[in-house]
Amino acid sequence: MIWRIGLGLWIAGGLVAAFLWAPLVPVLEETTRVLYFHIPTAWVTVVALGWSMVHSVLYLRRRRMEHDHQAAAAAEIGILFCVAATVSGSVWAKAMWGAYWNWDPRETTIFFLLLVYGAYLALRSAFDDEERRARLAAVYSAAAFVAVPFLMFVVPRLYFSLHPDPIVNPRGKLDMDPRIRLVFYAMLVGFTGLYFWMQSLRVRVARLQRRQHET
Amino acid sequence: MQGNVVVLIVALLVWALLFLYLLRLERRVKELEKR
Repeated sequence: MIWRIGLGLWIAGGLVAAFLWAPLVPVLEETTRVLYFHIPTAWVTVVALGWSMVHSVLYLRRRRMEHDHQAAAAAEIGILFCVAATVSGSVWAKAMWGAYWNWDPRETTIFFLLLVYGAYLALRSAFDDEERRARLAAVYSAAAFVAVPFLMFVVPRLYFSLHPDPIVNPRGKLDMDPRIRLVFYAMLVGFTGLYFWMQSLRVRVARLQRRQHET
Repeated sequence: MQGNVVVLIVALLVWALLFLYLLRLERRVKELEKR
């Protein structure tokens, strides 16, 4: 319980620091603050979809339903955070570019990512037999993750984009004010903790559902 | 500055609601696991 209360205070502290302590980036002005929400949600998306892929592979090797629960929960939460990243990015785009959606390479690739993992959920809901569902979903999830690094990191860099430079620039350095960096890392850690809490809750609910189904 | 404080309060409120919801869910899941 203590670490959960700590997480709550940690993120609340991050929010206060983001609004009242961290300076603004000159070009971004007030929209700088979206950085503390948008990038951590995008980061958690990649972590969650990676977690889903790892457990899908583990399921295919060991055939234990626990891995299927982990993979499904991670994909669901990954999609949730991906939607949050898309919405926060759109709000930022409206303020900076004048429109919520511009089919910028980053917007297009995140849209494809949502389609790919939306299909994963559709696939899962198409089967009643849990063994068959788990097996096919695991194959799909393991294959789908191959697209994630391309869609998130490679394709947006191949085409001209209005999206600000990545946090880690091409020289491999972080161009950030130290206070912005501190709040940014704190939010990154906080959101990662939030993800693992949500993951644990979703998996435990899935176990309870399975137990109820078996009795 | 005034606008920043208003947005901060809204953000904290949203986070508090989500956090309390997750805590409630945690307690409920624990109860069901004990049964």
